[in-house]
Amino acid sequence: MNLNNTTTPLLKMALTLDFGTPVNTSLLIYILYSVQRIVFPSTSTPSTVPTEFKDSYSWMPKAHPPTVLFKTYTPRTLEPFSGKDGGRILLAINGIVFDVTSGKSFYGPNGMYGNFAGRDASRGMAKQSFDLEMLTPVDQPLDKLEDLRSDEVENMKGWIDHFSNKYIICGKLVENDAV
Amino acid sequence: MSISDYVVTDDLTVLLGLISVSVFLLHSLYRPQPLVHPILLGRQSEAGRVRHPGESAVYRNYGTGLLGRFPVRPEKDLNTVSGFLKPDFDSPRTLWSTKITNAQLLERISAVGTGLIKLTGLVPKESNVLLLLNDSIEFVISDFALSAHSIPSFTLSSPKLLSRVLESHPPSVIITHGSFLPHILELVYDAHEHHHTIVVVGQCDTNLLPKSATQVRIIRWDDVESEGSKGERVSGPAPSQGDVVNVSFFESTSGEIQGAQFTHENFTAGVTATRALFPPSNALSSLDTIASAHSLSTAFGRVIAYTALFEGASFTTLATSKLFHVDGELSLDDIVDIKSAATSSTPSPTVLFLKPGHVEALSSSILANAKKSFLFYPFAWRHKLAGVSEGFITRESLWDRTVFDGAREKVVGQTANTTRTVVVSGGPIDLASLTPTRIALSVPLVNTHSHPTVAGPVFASQPLDLQVFPTNSSDKFGTLAHVGAPSINVEAKLVNVQDDVVEAGGDPVGVIVVRGPPVGSLIEPTENGEGWVNTGETGRVLTNGAFKVLNTKQ
Repeated sequence: MNLNNTTTPLLKMALTLDFGTPVNTSLLIYILYSVQRIVFPSTSTPSTVPTEFKDSYSWMPKAHPPTVLFKTYTPRTLEPFSGKDGGRILLAINGIVFDVTSGKSFYGPNGMYGNFAGRDASRGMAKQSFDLEMLTPVDQPLDKLEDLRSDEVENMKGWIDHFSNKYIICGKLVENDAV
Repeated sequence: MSISDYVVTDDLTVLLGLISVSVFLLHSLYRPQPLVHPILLGRQSEAGRVRHPGESAVYRNYGTGLLGRFPVRPEKDLNTVSGFLKPDFDSPRTLWSTKITNAQLLERISAVGTGLIKLTGLVPKESNVLLLLNDSIEFVISDFALSAHSIPSFTLSSPKLLSRVLESHPPSVIITHGSFLPHILELVYDAHEHHHTIVVVGQCDTNLLPKSATQVRIIRWDDVESEGSKGERVSGPAPSQGDVVNVSFFESTSGEIQGAQFTHENFTAGVTATRALFPPSNALSSLDTIASAHSLSTAFGRVIAYTALFEGASFTTLATSKLFHVDGELSLDDIVDIKSAATSSTPSPTVLFLKPGHVEALSSSILANAKKSFLFYPFAWRHKLAGVSEGFITRESLWDRTVFDGAREKVVGQTANTTRTVVVSGGPIDLASLTPTRIALSVPLVNTHSHPTVAGPVFASQPLDLQVFPTNSSDKFGTLAHVGAPSINVEAKLVNVQDDVVEAGGDPVGVIVVRGPPVGSLIEPTENGEGWVNTGETGRVLTNGAFKVLNTKQ
């Protein structure tokens, strides 16, 4: 390639704006545009803060991570949370209410331990039984758990530790008329 | 003409084609890469899953996590403050203007400790000593000597608190400078109740001595040191990590005087947190020189000094950190203040711990100086800003060499070339001036928040965070820059929060309470149970887990 042959026509083309060869012209325009973008980079900022990190370096997530409000439940207010209508599943052990929605396969309506959903499961956890006799009806006062042996109390405490690690503590259980 | 006539190519086309390909590659590969991936900046703290009514969730640093244990010491078996000075570290470093090795420093510390106990009759764990010293090597020596003998020291964050502290918590001994002595003697005469022993550093007026001989005993520091260095050293029981090292008195947001007690564990945890302000690729080492604008009489200032001592770095403070003068507090121009740290006998500072006023003065003068080069400044500014919007900044770029380095050197001299990180604390930074400051300094800028009850930073931002957010002047938080997530061993939550706002998905706004290893305990504890300490400051949590803290004067 003879450079002399190409540079003078290049200059001539640039100076006279000769659109003789469209390919050359389009390439030249592309080069000028890219050089302009390198020498004068864009510094515009979007008007609203982007909510995705792919959109921009300076971004802010749309929402806070979800948090559950710690509430005080009574046996009556706890009972609806048994997952029957697809809502949250709560269960109480020793006055501590756990949100076991993530364990829906166990504590949901069709799960193995579905009896405990929305109820005080302390006696069942202590005696390692899922029978319905372990649950006290919602209208009656809370199970005092006075007749449990010490090893059953230990077992219940072990279950409380297991639940604290696996599920969220989201409330406490008090008597029906305490609220 | 047919199609083939339009797409005729010749040698010129080949040349242009090559140029366009290279320009395209240059444009796409030259794009600066962010220094920290933006996905990390969207989740800076980890929030608890449950919150109590009227409070926000508990927030911890994302690196620590909700289940992680808080780091309490910078290395294994470092339980007490005396462990910060490693005896086997040989090279000397400069503390203020004294070049000293660890062995010599430990020697002086044990001499002073022995001398103090012999001459003033201090009893370990029962006596208290009030340190009214400006930042100097004597402060460090007395502090270490007292902590080694389990004698709690008192410090004040401001000389205005002196009279109230003398009344409510009278110390057995006061250590002060000769220039501040007349002021103390005046207060002691007014109090009239207690017998004090005063150890004086430096020159003191000899005509003051006869008047004070009856009630007050004045001993010179040099006598204490020489007395301690001859003869046998007094060795008491070894201090344990739960012993109180220091009680720091400060003025709370409501104007009352409050005292925070710090144990050895609080200080070791604080040093761990301060070291974590710097990323591992940019960590502190013995080659650094730290210049601090925070007085050693405050907990955060002391932790910065301990960090420097632990790392074997040189340490110096700015002129305005000296709190105790007879004429009142020193007020200097911010730039002059920064330049005061680099004297002829100290090495040039590499890490600066500054206050917002210093940083804003620095950035405005650097940019004003840079604007003097008419030709290059607009390009330099535009390119730097484009880099920042992609998350990239460097001091080695072409624009620094042509425009900014010269401006920085003109403003602060040699310090500009050696500074590699700047840490800001002591108040909020204006959001509008944050990006100009980052460009003017072009080094990692860590925005932190400190509080007198916490030994160490409470909140600290990511050093390589360069995000730019618009200001919103209608909101009192909208004009402030965020201070990042809680520090690695602090957990924070907001109380007095409006539940309906939070349930609707808004940002929680409330009073900040903190808990963790570096948090000291207040002498008069407030109602917050379970170890939470109320800072009295209003804060807000953003969706990315960063906090914004209001200026306490607002």
